[in-house]
Amino acid sequence: MARVASLQNIRMTPTAQSARLWEQLRTYLGRGSGAYAFFGLYAAICTWQLFTNPRTSLRTDIFFVLFLLLVFMVYRSATPLWFRGGLTAVLLVVVMPIFGTLNPFYIDVATQAGIFVALALGLNVVVGFAGLLDLGYVAFFAVGAYLWAILSTPQITQINPAWSPVPPIMFYPFVVLGLVIGAVFGILLGLPVLRLRGDYLAIVTLGFGEVIRVLANNLDRPINITNGSQGIREIERPPLILTNFIRETLGWNLSDSQLYQQFFYFVVLLIVIFTVVVVSRLKNSRIGRAWEAIREDETAAVAQGIPRVRMKLMAFAVGASFAGAMGVVFASKQLFINPPTFDLLRSINILAMVILGGMGSIPGSILGAVIVTLLDLQILPRMATVLRDAQRAGVPIPAAFDPTQYQRLLFGILLVLMMIFRPQGILPDERRSEELHAGDEPPSEEEAPPAARAAAESS
Amino acid sequence: MAAEAKVTTSPQTGQRSLAEVLRTVFGPVGQMLLFVVGSAIALSLVVTLLALVQIGARPDLLVRTWTILPQVIIDGLVRGFLFATIALGYTMVYGVLEFINFAHGEIFMVGGVVGAAVALALAAAGFLAAVPGLLFVLLIIVLGMLVSGTLAVTVERVAYRPLRGAPRLVPLISAIGVSLVLQDVTRLIMTSTPLGFNARFNTPDFGSPIRLFEMNLGDRPVPVIISPKALIFVSAAVVMLVVLNYLVNATRLGKAIRATAQDRATASLMGINVNQIISLTFLIGGALGGAAGALFGMYVGTVNPYMGFIPGLKAFTAAVLGGIGNITGAMVGGIVLGFLEAFVASYLSLFTGGAFSGAAYADIAAFSILILILIFRPSGLLGEATTQKV
Amino acid sequence: MTSNILEARNVTKTFGGLVAVNDVTLTVEKGRIVSVIGPNGAGKTTFFNILTGIYKPDKGTVIFDGTSIAGNRPDIIAALGMRRTFQNIRLFDNMTVLENVLVGMHTHLHAPFWQIVTRAAGVRREEARARQKARELLAYVGLDEKRDDLAKNLPYGDQRRLEIARALAGQPKLILLDEPTAGMNPHETDAATELIRRLRDELGLTVVLIEHDMRLVMAISERITVLDYGTKIAEGDAAAIRSNPRVIEAYLGKGAAGAAA
Repeated sequence: MARVASLQNIRMTPTAQSARLWEQLRTYLGRGSGAYAFFGLYAAICTWQLFTNPRTSLRTDIFFVLFLLLVFMVYRSATPLWFRGGLTAVLLVVVMPIFGTLNPFYIDVATQAGIFVALALGLNVVVGFAGLLDLGYVAFFAVGAYLWAILSTPQITQINPAWSPVPPIMFYPFVVLGLVIGAVFGILLGLPVLRLRGDYLAIVTLGFGEVIRVLANNLDRPINITNGSQGIREIERPPLILTNFIRETLGWNLSDSQLYQQFFYFVVLLIVIFTVVVVSRLKNSRIGRAWEAIREDETAAVAQGIPRVRMKLMAFAVGASFAGAMGVVFASKQLFINPPTFDLLRSINILAMVILGGMGSIPGSILGAVIVTLLDLQILPRMATVLRDAQRAGVPIPAAFDPTQYQRLLFGILLVLMMIFRPQGILPDERRSEELHAGDEPPSEEEAPPAARAAAESS
Repeated sequence: MAAEAKVTTSPQTGQRSLAEVLRTVFGPVGQMLLFVVGSAIALSLVVTLLALVQIGARPDLLVRTWTILPQVIIDGLVRGFLFATIALGYTMVYGVLEFINFAHGEIFMVGGVVGAAVALALAAAGFLAAVPGLLFVLLIIVLGMLVSGTLAVTVERVAYRPLRGAPRLVPLISAIGVSLVLQDVTRLIMTSTPLGFNARFNTPDFGSPIRLFEMNLGDRPVPVIISPKALIFVSAAVVMLVVLNYLVNATRLGKAIRATAQDRATASLMGINVNQIISLTFLIGGALGGAAGALFGMYVGTVNPYMGFIPGLKAFTAAVLGGIGNITGAMVGGIVLGFLEAFVASYLSLFTGGAFSGAAYADIAAFSILILILIFRPSGLLGEATTQKV
Repeated sequence: MTSNILEARNVTKTFGGLVAVNDVTLTVEKGRIVSVIGPNGAGKTTFFNILTGIYKPDKGTVIFDGTSIAGNRPDIIAALGMRRTFQNIRLFDNMTVLENVLVGMHTHLHAPFWQIVTRAAGVRREEARARQKARELLAYVGLDEKRDDLAKNLPYGDQRRLEIARALAGQPKLILLDEPTAGMNPHETDAATELIRRLRDELGLTVVLIEHDMRLVMAISERITVLDYGTKIAEGDAAAIRSNPRVIEAYLGKGAAGAAA
């Protein structure tokens, strides 16, 4: 039945021809033997290219992006679970780490992307599911990061000379503690402000984010808690595990810093998997439906017996908890944090990921986070070199223009364009229909025109 | 201007008397001045009391409190008028569209940059010293108004109008985007020209600080001075506010704006071209912001592309404090917030023995006020009438 | 013990200077279909909003099924078993028809947070049962075929029926319908009338409705309450209301006979 609906939709769209071709291609490559061959071949070529040419270059950049795209396509494909799961696991657990030993840059990009995927998924709970525009989300990330940074370093003795830093092994319980503290801060912020209307809430959360940053910047007096604008250095990392196994049994001679890269890659991967699982289960539960109902129509939601404030608090707490936990990991991985790490631009950055991908959509947030991270770490620097070369060749480009320094411009344009032309994002939230159990059939491509445009045209 | 011809409000119900016009124009300004005096007196009493409480431990505290008091009040006055002029832009747009124009702080910043560019261009041509001070002020105000006003109208056309009628958060996100774009485009322009990222510039000489009077506190007299630039800033702001009140409360144009704010649909049925009125609202708000930017840039002597963000946020706080959508409220809110901030910035460090730096915590104080007001009195100090349209 | 499911006594609500609801008393016996009628602006919807907790009454008491609820939060009142529909349909537009009904079941789903996250067997069972129940309800109002459509894409009449299905999902004791046939054509109105009657006859619900369609009101109401300018001006069965001079005056104005012609 859903198929019929989607066919009708296609008939009515102006670009019917190309849409149908695309649909056929998708269907053919998305399942059955066609899919196995396609994904298998794609994976083999990508892996071979990455392993034989690991040097950082435009070519490797392209294959790395193709590799990430592959992972995403496999994850989204309609192939049987064993195939999807198996191939994704091989790509993320075997290929990526081995490639990481050949070139440390790319595994770092992947780790960063993972951190932002978790943050975007957390913010998506607040903004996408519950419809609460939180412009100070990075504050919770900061709280987690400072929690570990202060307690794991001699900074703690500044607060009270009798206290001593926690041992590095405490990293693991602190990730969980970050989760809890994040949630607590989410509730503390939420309690006073959740009764506010949407746009006021946005400004107040923005203010809250600024307050946390200003506090981090100034709480070096009267008691030195955060070390002010100097930031905190030499943050502890947990002790390495499996060192002997890797160096002696496997015979890979990796340095400590390489091992740490691998370690954080896997920690982040685990947290991302955990986040995806938790968020998708919540989404398809009474809680997720209550959030969406509040987003759609608060009065009607409350008339169904949904406790508004409690549900909003829960959304704030869940979203903030992921940020808190990732904060602990981030501080430990970066070894150094200071207040500017957690400025408003970072919050906007994460918001841009959610909006780009599609508010309320889990795959959208993942895709958005990966795209924005790649833009930040790979594409803008690459553009910068291209522009510098062009400038040297005599193309009139302002000398001051360095794309890596103009993230605001990029994200600003991105936000405006997305709102005007595609407010639902690249991968809008797809309605799960009753008949379609995971993997049976592709979800129907129901694409109502953006409400915004329709309303604008009619006025 | 152009809109005036199209505006056809209900037939005139007879000429209003001059007294009535004066009352509608100067009433709000008078109310604002009342708050100026009130805030100054109330806060002075508070700090005096705080000083008296601690006087046992620190006997010199009272004298030190009073020594800086006049300077703090002047500082509060400047901040207050700054927030008031910016807050008007927020509140007028909110009144008409129920939309927080997040990019308004950047419109203010652009005005400042225009002022700096004018000063630097004059200096480069060797004219700067020759231009009379007041002519210079007039020049930067007019140019700042022109550029910022046009920019605000353009932004509305490009980034907000296509989103009219969309869910509330959609245009807000677009406005955040515009704010970021304006910051970086300005930065690109500034760093590609002699302005540089942090444009420092000279202005014509306005004469030496004006000595108002002397206070006799203990051993030596303390002079109370006001810099000419502060005086110009405050006077220009007062003039602009009077003109704005005339425009909104005593002209047909103003009536059309108020009608549109009341009820957009009905206003359009009455023959008001709503799109034009909205553009006009952005023009007026933007021009006010631009003039404030130019004056403020001149006052502090330096501008940069990120200077609009925090004042913008605080001006929004001021608008909410006074009751968003309410023009008199925005002026009053700006004044109150400006004084509060000036007092926190100057006295926090004094009263805590230097443990907390006042400048940083003034920001926190402003945001705390925003949160408290929104929770306990979301209609603001003067709200009610205009904020009931939910 | 009375058999009254709802007793609203001396309810008053003012907005600024306007008295929207003035000292209105309404008692509803279990299992009845009761209508509240009155000209536009008579305070009918405001009265519903007070019953369901959207507004706090300035004065008066509301007892629902033995519990005093005046001034309670709307979600608590809904959880006690009073559900409503809205005059200007308020569905969750971007959720499917089935999901709309599932949201209506919120108060009957109890899976705790940690069980949802671990996807414990109990949660899966509860979810499956809820979906089953939701489909039964959709079948009952005739929307099962459209369960996967987005609510906003439904035709008008279907949206009204979906709102009723969503209200039924809360297994209410009392259902308040705010103009359930507004904007419907005669054919749709007949179907809606039939549905309302079935709610009482088959499900044993008590129904209170606000309605302008007098044919519908007179056909199915056992008691009718008339409001005008916030005040109750008449109460009784259809025949009594039809012949009540004050009601005629309220609807047609003073000296109605002459002016109306």
